[in-house]
Amino acid sequence: MGTEIKAELLRLFHMNPGILDTVEGIARRVGRMSKNVETEISTLVELGVLRKERFGSLDVVSLNTSKDREIMKKVAALIEGGAKG
Amino acid sequence: MRAPTGISELDAMLHGGLMRGDVTLVVGSAGTGKTTLGLQYLINGATKFNENGLYITFEEMPAQIYRDAASFGWDIRKLEAEGKLRVVCTSPPVLVQFVEQRNPIDAIIAEINAKRIVVDSISNLEHFIPASELRGELYRLVNHLKMKELTSIFTAESHEVFGNHLVVTGVGLSFLVDCIILLRIVEIQSTLKKALTVLKIRGSDHDKQLREFEITPQGIKITAPFAQYEGVLTGTPRMSFTEEAGRAWGEAFVRKRR
Repeated sequence: MGTEIKAELLRLFHMNPGILDTVEGIARRVGRMSKNVETEISTLVELGVLRKERFGSLDVVSLNTSKDREIMKKVAALIEGGAKG
Repeated sequence: MRAPTGISELDAMLHGGLMRGDVTLVVGSAGTGKTTLGLQYLINGATKFNENGLYITFEEMPAQIYRDAASFGWDIRKLEAEGKLRVVCTSPPVLVQFVEQRNPIDAIIAEINAKRIVVDSISNLEHFIPASELRGELYRLVNHLKMKELTSIFTAESHEVFGNHLVVTGVGLSFLVDCIILLRIVEIQSTLKKALTVLKIRGSDHDKQLREFEITPQGIKITAPFAQYEGVLTGTPRMSFTEEAGRAWGEAFVRKRR
């Protein structure tokens, strides 16, 4: 379940790099409850894929675009390597 | 002094464009073209007037906006890569979150040196902010954008598609903004047409005619005024007396000649 939600979040942010939202807002965008996405968002923040910044009472989450580019390059290299192999 | 929208007929109606640093409310029911007008204003700003822009969306996802814009030939992803435009998808509480004069979107405004902003749609704030605080929060937001010298467009949904009961917004937003552009669907001779009018501009004269417009493959195109009709805005259009009398006279003349 956790992997599935992480994949949904990665897809959401990759397709919509301009998302700058609360955990609750992000949960709504993937059609889930906040409690189900909170841990996965924290994991992605720890991995450096997402950023979390505190503004007053709100935690605002956004995509770490440089990390996203890095991941895309790695995925492309893996696909290319697989195709050659 | 003016920030042209790049929609030439609209700029003519506004006597040159939006007043720089002002907040404009674009009001209309679903499908009237509010988002298209907002995007066109930003695209033209970035590509024709060297003014970068920020588009704030609450419900529509950026991926959908990229796709819809592409149908008009507008490549938003390219403009984003060039640092001329940014689409931000957020929730109303984030937009009105201010900590020590700082707002979460301020960093993006500074990063791309934005001169234009579109908030689509301001009506979403009603679902997230208590009614008693809404006007105060809107007032704070309007002034924050003005302090940043942004020329802003807020879109707002009008629940009335047809009919003669016209409410621009329910929270007195029309008093907080400097300019109001109304988009409306009207029925004329059993055909649905789109109408646009400028209701007010603070500190400037403007065209007061109600004009027909279309959403073309190139974006919004404003055409002729509804000169032959009265009551278009109220939803019960009828041919104006002089037009009607002229037509009746013409028909009578033709009959007599026969």
